[in-house]
Amino acid sequence: MYQSLLTRKYLTSKLMPILAMLAVMLSVATILITWSVMGGFLKTLVNSGRSLVGDVVITWPNVGFAHYEDLIERLEADPMIEGATPIIETFGLVQLPDDRIELITIKGIDPSSYGTVTNYNDTIWWKPIEEPTPKDRDRSDVRLDPELREIMSVFESNANTLTRFDPASGETQDAGVLGVEVTGLNIRTEDGIYDPRTTAFRALPDGGIERVPGFMPSGGSVGLTVLALDSKGRPVDPVTRTIPIANEFQSGIYEVDTSTLIVPLGVMQRMLRMDEARRVEIVESENPFEMERDPDTGEMRPKRREIVGVDPARATNVLVKAAKGVQVDDAQARCKEIYAEFAAAHRGDVPGPMQMENQIRTWEDLNATMINAVKKETGLVLFVFGIVSFTTVFLVLAIFWSMASEKTKDIGILRALGASTGGIAWLWIRYGTVIGLIGAVFGTALGYVIVSNINAIHDWLGRTFGLTIWDPRQYYFIEIPSEVDLSKAIIVFIVGVLTCVLGSLLPAWRSAKMDPVKALRFE
Amino acid sequence: MSETGTILNVTNVRKTYTLGRVKVPVLHGVDLDVRAGEWIAVLGASGSGKSTLLHLMGGLDRPDRVKGERASISFMDREITSLGSHALDKYRARDVGFVFQFYHLLPELDVMSNVCVGGMIRHGRLGYRTNRKSIQGRASELLGRFGLGDRLGHRPAELSGGERQRVAIARALINEPRVLLADEPTGNLDQKTGDSILDTISEHRASAGLTMVMVTHDERIAARADRVIRLVDGRVQEDPGL
Repeated sequence: MYQSLLTRKYLTSKLMPILAMLAVMLSVATILITWSVMGGFLKTLVNSGRSLVGDVVITWPNVGFAHYEDLIERLEADPMIEGATPIIETFGLVQLPDDRIELITIKGIDPSSYGTVTNYNDTIWWKPIEEPTPKDRDRSDVRLDPELREIMSVFESNANTLTRFDPASGETQDAGVLGVEVTGLNIRTEDGIYDPRTTAFRALPDGGIERVPGFMPSGGSVGLTVLALDSKGRPVDPVTRTIPIANEFQSGIYEVDTSTLIVPLGVMQRMLRMDEARRVEIVESENPFEMERDPDTGEMRPKRREIVGVDPARATNVLVKAAKGVQVDDAQARCKEIYAEFAAAHRGDVPGPMQMENQIRTWEDLNATMINAVKKETGLVLFVFGIVSFTTVFLVLAIFWSMASEKTKDIGILRALGASTGGIAWLWIRYGTVIGLIGAVFGTALGYVIVSNINAIHDWLGRTFGLTIWDPRQYYFIEIPSEVDLSKAIIVFIVGVLTCVLGSLLPAWRSAKMDPVKALRFE
Repeated sequence: MSETGTILNVTNVRKTYTLGRVKVPVLHGVDLDVRAGEWIAVLGASGSGKSTLLHLMGGLDRPDRVKGERASISFMDREITSLGSHALDKYRARDVGFVFQFYHLLPELDVMSNVCVGGMIRHGRLGYRTNRKSIQGRASELLGRFGLGDRLGHRPAELSGGERQRVAIARALINEPRVLLADEPTGNLDQKTGDSILDTISEHRASAGLTMVMVTHDERIAARADRVIRLVDGRVQEDPGL
């Protein structure tokens, strides 16, 4: 009882407990802000990584697998699956308008179903928008321009169909969508938007320079070279083709946006020879002496017959979107079951379920390297800040040690009145707990307020002191993540209180062990 | 209480302090009987061990253990030197009350709280909540009797020396102890105030039947006691002359 009375009195009559509270408050706020921002960063990155992948990916790389339409039909018939789409994913070389040649990831997609399984439509960059992006205060984004609204709508429509109208031939051609950072002709501003260059320059062998269209959706095209594969999946010949660019996309993952080209599935199937093809199988006659004349050469040869069939089109991946409320892991398990049924129905034509065991993966598995890297980074930053904040323990300890020394005579008086050693220890631990609670409450509140308004605070710092910590040109996300996770706030709060309790333990032990006679004589 | 009416018995108590590497013997086998209701004054030169004896009797300190010798301090036939720390805490909270020369009030607490804190310690959280009214009533009554009825909300810094000592006495008496151990209670006060304090104690002692052991170096004050003992060379000498 006397502990609560003295705790109350000590709290309100000294500067030192306020300093201890401030130390806890700042420590709690710092950790909460760091964790929330880094956690938000990870969350944004993860969601971006998911944007072009779907929930589960069924992959048989290079050669791909046939009868994917049947697999998709089976998947879509299942209530746990919302949709599925085939893609071909491979690598190739892309020749940019300025003649630079870059290694690129090519995704051959079926635009209509791809849009339902992934967030492809949201990633399309050149389209009309109503509201400016959060940092575009001067509305300098060309997508907002009413005069460009119509053409932006055309660009968007082209991206949705992966086609572009060619005025010269009067035909609508298959087209591709490039990652917005591939050409280097879209300059990302500090407002987090892109300022497109309308013209690019191409160096000529004679030392001259040729002007070429820089804004890709408006007449730009790239040269694409891939290695065609034979039916065994072995590369045979390089195939090159010009791909008009319909639009550009921004997934939010820099690596993806600098090295990805999306083209129609059919285009990729034809270039890689993975489209449906007539199959001719030559079988020698059973009688080795039976001869016939070769119609091409006119020479005699052993008689043989041709068996004609059809090689079905193939895709390297089927992307699957789980139905609403279905966990990704459950959807993955279901996909494995459905694939097993599918493989049984096409035995010999498609890889068996055993081979596919590790090829049916969730989007998290696919992005594991990236996610783990950011998780580790977050962990490292938290660890460093944790160590820094751990100094709070020593700060509280120092403050409490000093206070316990100052209150030596009080301890002697209380012991003379019959207070036990445990009671004296509890006085300081309780005091530490109360200071920790108050510090942690204010620290959590401060952290919450700062994180919730971090972008406004950041802008104010920029305006007032010229400080730009989060530059969208470097960090790729327009805004600093500003969500506080309740579970994180609770953990940080508890750790904040424990920090203070920990800091009070040694002074509590020292006070409890104090000789009451010496304490009473303390000057 | 023993048949002889002894409430506190000190037998062959030795106490040595260690100052750095030097051992300083203070008490060399003190024997003392304190009878119930008695007022004993302990006289002695500075450093003679008067306060040490008081601390030992009040269970704030423990006597030396000397091999082959039996030293004990008993309160109502219960040997307090063999008590565990928890039982000793209870002894200090219930059976004895301390008054110090420099008052030793808690500076952050007001007069009322300074007195009630003894009750809080004795009764614990639940006990204090149950007995809050009676404890506070007793505190008010004591403080009123000591002339501090209108100073209940004041802090020690706002009181005079005499007032502070009255608060300290009220605090010592809040749990109705059997023995009051006073260490030069008027040593820091002028004579008039000191006398007034002694009057206060004396009145209360008479009405409550309180036993009191008072350390003093002032023979005039000692003369008011029922019995005077002197501490000379760390041993007790009865002083029939006073």
